[in-house]
This record gives sequence, structure tokens and C-alpha cells, in this order.
Amino acid sequence: MHKLDTNKENTWCPGCGNFGIMNAFKKALAALTNKGIDPKSIVITSGIGCHGKIFDYLNVSGIYSLHGRALATAQGIKLANPELNVICFGGDGDSLGEGLEHTMFAAKRNMDITLLLHNNGTYGLTTGQASPMSLQGYRGISTPQGNIERPFTPITLMYEAGATYISRSYSTKIDHLTEVITGAVLHKGFSFVEILQPCISYNNTYDLYNQKVRIMDGVPSNETVAYSLARNKDDIHIGIFKDESIPIYHEQLLGSHIPANERITRNHRCEIIKSMYP
Amino acid sequence: MFTVLIAGKAGEGIKKAAQVIADMLKFYGRFTFQLDDYESTIRGGHNFSVVTTDTSEVYSVYNSADLIICFDKRSYHLHSDKLNPNGLLVYNSDEGSFERGIGIPLTSLMKDVYNQPYNVSVSAVAISAARIGMTGSNLKDIIAHSYKRDATQNCIYASRVYDSLGEVAIDFPKLPCHSGHIFSGNQLIALGAWTAGLDYYFSYPMTPASSILHYLAAKQNTLGVHTIHAESELAAINMAIGAVYCGCRTAVGSSGGGFALMQEAFSMAGMVEAPLLCILSSRPGPATGVSTYTAQEDLYFALHQGHGDFSRIVASPDCMERAYTLAGELLAMAWKFQLPVILLTEKHLSESMMQAIIDPTQVMEANHLAATDEAEYNRYEITDNGISPLLFPPSEAVIKWNSHEHLSSGVRTDEAIDIVAMKDKRNRKDTGIIASLKEFQTWAVYGEGDVIVFAYGSTVLELREALKHLDSRITILAPIYLEPFDIKTVEMFQNRRTIIVEHNSKGDFAFLIRSKLQIDFIGSILRYDGRVFDPLELAQRIEVMINAQA
Ligand SMILES: Cc1ncc(C[n+]2csc(CCOP(=O)(O)OP(=O)(O)O)c2C)c(N)n1
Ligand code: SF4
Repeated sequence: MHKLDTNKENTWCPGCGNFGIMNAFKKALAALTNKGIDPKSIVITSGIGCHGKIFDYLNVSGIYSLHGRALATAQGIKLANPELNVICFGGDGDSLGEGLEHTMFAAKRNMDITLLLHNNGTYGLTTGQASPMSLQGYRGISTPQGNIERPFTPITLMYEAGATYISRSYSTKIDHLTEVITGAVLHKGFSFVEILQPCISYNNTYDLYNQKVRIMDGVPSNETVAYSLARNKDDIHIGIFKDESIPIYHEQLLGSHIPANERITRNHRCEIIKSMYP
Repeated sequence: MFTVLIAGKAGEGIKKAAQVIADMLKFYGRFTFQLDDYESTIRGGHNFSVVTTDTSEVYSVYNSADLIICFDKRSYHLHSDKLNPNGLLVYNSDEGSFERGIGIPLTSLMKDVYNQPYNVSVSAVAISAARIGMTGSNLKDIIAHSYKRDATQNCIYASRVYDSLGEVAIDFPKLPCHSGHIFSGNQLIALGAWTAGLDYYFSYPMTPASSILHYLAAKQNTLGVHTIHAESELAAINMAIGAVYCGCRTAVGSSGGGFALMQEAFSMAGMVEAPLLCILSSRPGPATGVSTYTAQEDLYFALHQGHGDFSRIVASPDCMERAYTLAGELLAMAWKFQLPVILLTEKHLSESMMQAIIDPTQVMEANHLAATDEAEYNRYEITDNGISPLLFPPSEAVIKWNSHEHLSSGVRTDEAIDIVAMKDKRNRKDTGIIASLKEFQTWAVYGEGDVIVFAYGSTVLELREALKHLDSRITILAPIYLEPFDIKTVEMFQNRRTIIVEHNSKGDFAFLIRSKLQIDFIGSILRYDGRVFDPLELAQRIEVMINAQA
């Protein structure tokens, strides 16, 4: 495998949870290679925010997309070439706010791609406004009186939308996160990883998570158990909440056709037109 | 010339009946033009379709008709005064008895034949057949062929209507059939893009662009094309960029509202240099506007689509055949120069139907400059002509597309010198674009009069029909390419009296022509009620304008 770093200067704040995510991702790439995934087939997309900077730091092919749209871009890539393994990095503002529709629909379709959600409970890059995952009372520059809205529970949201691999991990638990990401990429269907990512500058949740995060043993036996574990505020459970196998979108749409590789030739197109409209 | 108008409620199958009648007239060796005037309604309301037919090409429909068929009272009141002298009006006598025309109990006859009320518009085909003197048995063949569900009942119903009409035939000789097929503009756009290489169409339905999606979806097995009805226009165009990244020839399409939502990603296509064909079919705006009618209010919207400065190509087909070739040409231009292109059109071309002869060998192929050296690959390599070679994943080389300003590697940059270098690289493509336009037809010219009438898009169709009534005293000049705008070709028409015709209230096109060609008009004809001109009325208005200035 070629080197995984670019020479782009890293500008994440020292101590930012994104470092852990990037380390785990690199380890996951190695693990995936060991499991027979061709590194060339890995393509990433990212949204806009601190999380998105990972695109520039990783020497991996892909598209640095628009704010909120990375998952739509990712779906287009997968639909054009299903042989690629497409992984999307999204922020909570990005994938649960600006681009929530794409997150819901990628899950609804059971698109065979992976969303790694950097959940830092704030808009890091734009200096700490409240995000869809900010807690009630969160004081950011756009909510100086405290955030009125309640945060989503991404796990149950993804359950409802139809994601088939739903998981949560924590940026400091590199091994756990590596394993969850590896599983997510290997999963056939829409895989979702909520990554608890402390933002040193605007939402420092290290103490909270260090106290409350618990690794679950195994996948919850049913939806009710999964929901209650996902919503538990006293213990923050990490691990896999759902791992299910149902038909995936592109196989139903395309069968075995790979649109990008098996393009119809010019001559064939002319013949078809001539036979349709003699 | 012969015009048929069929009117009734939404859901009665009026458009379908008009298509069958157009086919029938084509079989009689006539050229046809069909316009469907419908409200955004599924049941009820008022809809009508008009088919104008002649022994030579017809480019638009006429207001007054030789055969008017009214399924309900409202239709009679709205249309009965459009009947030409010696015309025939047939109304549904179950809706009342009226002063003009022949009443036939179309509803009762229908109820006698079908178990459930079926579409009354089968009767319109029967009435038209009777009028043009088609035999009862030929009519049955047509009905059986065109209305496959409940075919037996349809044939019985059609025959009863036909018989109850009595002898109404006019002299309508069957002429040798001419070649060509009847297409809607949207079908031609879809087929043109597909001929050039289209692999994927991403869209969210919005009239009058929706039928591109419907057509390609219906033809996916024949054409091997894939269509995605995405969750929104935002999804559609961002997915499209993803597909382009993998090398798929891709298009998106919508009307103004959907394009407004696609702006940001359109701009991204400019930044990442994604070859993307965008089809913008206009209806009256602003906002939701008038969903099912025609307009030309989006010219500057197309020219300025997307924030930031980047190049794009915008062109508009002036006729059906051009819709086919231009869609292909634009897809090819997009891939040659790696930028977003817009095919701008209107409801009048998108949804109207007329004959066209399509020749796939006339359509360009969408090819790209492929990378030869994978080892040293940089997505945004700085080149003299601004075009950086393309490489698609999976590949040994890293391929990075970036919506931020970037280095040649595709990694983001904020450095002043690099920003300028990359913008300059992109801008250098302009020279190539302008040079390659020299190989294409950038203007359409019709007629040979001394007065110039400027128009673009489907307004040209209306003008060509009006031209038939103007003794060729005008020349219609229509830019096909709106951006870049080719001034050279029309320089020889300087210093002539000019008129401009367009479908909006502000004169956007006049503004464009004035700023590009520095000319003034003796008059402008604006129409912004969503409707097209009656050719006779348009001819008369032009006539008055010319005479006033003589
Ligand atoms: C369309 C659009 N709106 C707004 C912005 C400005 N913006 C950039 S990142 C961002 C929020 C980032 O928050 P999040 O997605 O949570 O990412 P984080 O920085 O926390 O990783 C905003 C509002 C933008 N780039 N594009
Ligand atoms: S602002 Fe927060 S999320 Fe952004 S780099 Fe700094 S610590 Fe990380």
C-alpha cells in the first residue's frame, strides 16, 4: 500500500478527536487490505467542516464535496461503479443538519456505502455554533442563551430510516473504532458509524465520555433493546446496535452491470437508435 | 392545413387521443404538431390538446380549429367560437344541447359499452377518423393498436361514435407517407444525449422536465441507461457529480425551481471540473410559478447559474432536430472541456410533439482527454489549454476532486499564488471552447427578409409558423449558443430593422442581444401568459410593427 499521508499541513487543534478518527481509519484500511479489500477500490468523500479536512490529510482517492452533500456524492460514485468501496466522512452539522435528507435516504435505500459521522456536538470549523447534536443548554456563539432544541439520537434515527449496520464508537478507543469501521466497510448495505468526537475548542466532552462510555457485549437482541441502549444517558453505549443483511440497492437496480466499466459503445448506440427509429 | 382541438377534463386521456390522431394523420401523409394545454391537475379541471397538420412541416399550432371535440360543457363554452368556417364541432350531448355543432351522447354510449366508465377520448379518434374519411375498419385497426387495454370495448365504442356521426367526411386525400417519427422535444433531448454516450440520468420530477426522466426510465432496458429519481434536486446533482467522477456520462434535468436548488452543486461542477449536462426546461416563474405552461424567464438564470466565476456553456435548441443533435453536442462539449453545460429549453419544445428525422451519426460522441501516465497523475495538472487529463477509479494513482480551491494534486489550497494559477488554468479553456464552436452551427437562420426578428429556443418554432403568413419579409435569427455568444456570424446582419420576440415580461433576451450586438429594436413582442402565439396573430403583430416603421 502506498503512503497514507499527504503533505498537507494538519490544522486540527491539538487534542482534537479527529486525530483518533484518522488513526483508526488508517488502521482500518490496513485491516481491510488484510481481509482482501483492494486499497485501490477505496474511495472517500467528505463534507465541509473540521471533519472534512481528513480528505486532504489522507492520500486516498475521492471527492471533497459540498457541505452536507458528501453522502449524495458518495451514492453517485457507488451507483456508477459498484466495485468501489465508498466511505463518507460527515460532521453532525453536515450529515444531520445541512444534508440530513441524504443520510436518511442512503439508509432507506440500503446503499452499500459507509458513513463515518464525526459527532462533536458543535460546528467546529465555523467556531462553535450549536449543531443538531448539541445538548439542550449548549452555549455557542449562535445560541448565547443556551440551545433550546434537543439533539437527535442518530442510532435510532438510522434504525428508523433503514440502515442495516448501525454502530457507535469513541475517537479515543482506537482499537474499538478500527474494528467498527472495518466491519462497517465490509458490511453489505448502508453502514453507519457514529463516532463520539470531542472538540477541544468548542465542546470538550472528554471527561463526560471517559466516565460514561461503555463497550457493549455483542449486538442487542432486538430493536427495543437497541433503542433503550442507544438512548441511555447515564451510560453511553458503544458497539454495534444492528447488523443485518437485506438486499442492497445497486444490485437491485443494476444487477451485475457496472455502468462505469461496461459503457455501451458508440456503434451499438447508433444501431439501437436506427433499429428504434428506422 | 387542418387543426383538431380536443377538450375536456384532466384524466380523460385527451393527450393520448391527440397522439393517436397525430399518428393517424401521419399515416395520411401529413406533418403534425401537437400541443397539450393542461393544468396541474390529475382529475377534473380543463385540458385540451391541439394537433395542427399540413402537407409540409408544421412548427406550432393554431388557435382556430377545423374540428373541435368537446367532452363537457365547459369545453364547449371555452372553445366553440374557435371553429373555422366550414369546420365541424362535435360535443357531448349528455352535457346539454348547444347551438353549434353536432351533439352525440358520448358518455351514455360509453356507459353502454364498458363495465366501468372508460376513457371517453377514444371517441375523439373515431370522430377525427370520420372527418377525414377513414373507413370504419381502418379505424378499428388503429383503435385496437393504440388502446390495447379493453381493446374489444374500445373498438365497439369507437364504431358506435363513428356510426352515429353520419356522413361528415371532408376531402382529405391520403398522401404518400414521409419518413420521420413523432417525438416530443424531451424525448429528443434524452435520445440525443444518450446517442452521445449518456449512461446515467439523475433527477427529481419537475414539469416540464419530468418527461425526460419518465422516458429514459421507460426505455432503460432498450437503451441500457440508468435513471435515478433522487430525494431532491440537491441529491440528484451531487450524485451526478459522483457518477461523473467514475467516468459515467451523466445528465441532470429540472425546471427553474429545481435548478435553483442545484446551483451550489452546479458551481461545484465548475470547481471540480466535472463534465455535466444539465437540462433546464422553463415554465413561468417566479417560485412555483405556472407549472404546466411555457416561458423564457430563465435566460440569465442559466447564464449565471452557480456562484463564483467559472466557465459554462449554455445553448438552446430552436427546433426538434436540433434538440437531438444539440443535447449530444453539449454532452460532448462538457466532456471535452470538463465543465458544466446547460441545455436551456421551454415547455413548448419539451412537451410539444412533431415529426423529426434523427440520424445518430450526426451526433457527436462525448470523449475525454484520458491520462496516459498513471504514476505521475495529478487531477488538476496545469496545462496550456487548461484541460487536465482524466483518470477514473480504481487506480494506482490517487485521484482527488475538491470543491475547495486546490493544487494540481486536488489537495485544498488557500495560497494566493495557487488560487490564481488554478483559476487561470480553468479560464484558459475558454479559448478552446470558442475555437471549437467554430465547427458547430451557432446560429439558426430562417427566411430571407430585410427585417430581422431575433428569438431563441422554442419561440423560433412559433416564428417559423408565423413566417408562412409573412411573405418572407423577415429573417429569423436565433442564437443556438447563448454562452459563449458568437457575435461574428451575425455581423453581416447589422444595420437592419430588428424586432425581438420572447416569452417573458422583462425582455431578458433583448437585453442580451442589445449588450452583445449593440443594436436597437424597432419593437419587441413579449408574451408572458404561459401560452404560445397563434401563428396568424404573431404574423399580424410583426406586420403592424414593420408597417408602423416603414
Ligand atoms: C452551504 C454552506 N453553508 C454553510 C457553510 C459554512 N460551514 C462550513 S462547515 C459548517 C458547519 C460544520 O459543522 P459540522 O458539519 O458539524 O463539522 P465540524 O466542523 O464540526 O467537523 C458550516 C456552517 C458552507 N461551507 N456551505
Ligand atoms: S475546532 Fe474542534 S473539531 Fe475543529 S479541529 Fe478544533 S478541536 Fe477539532
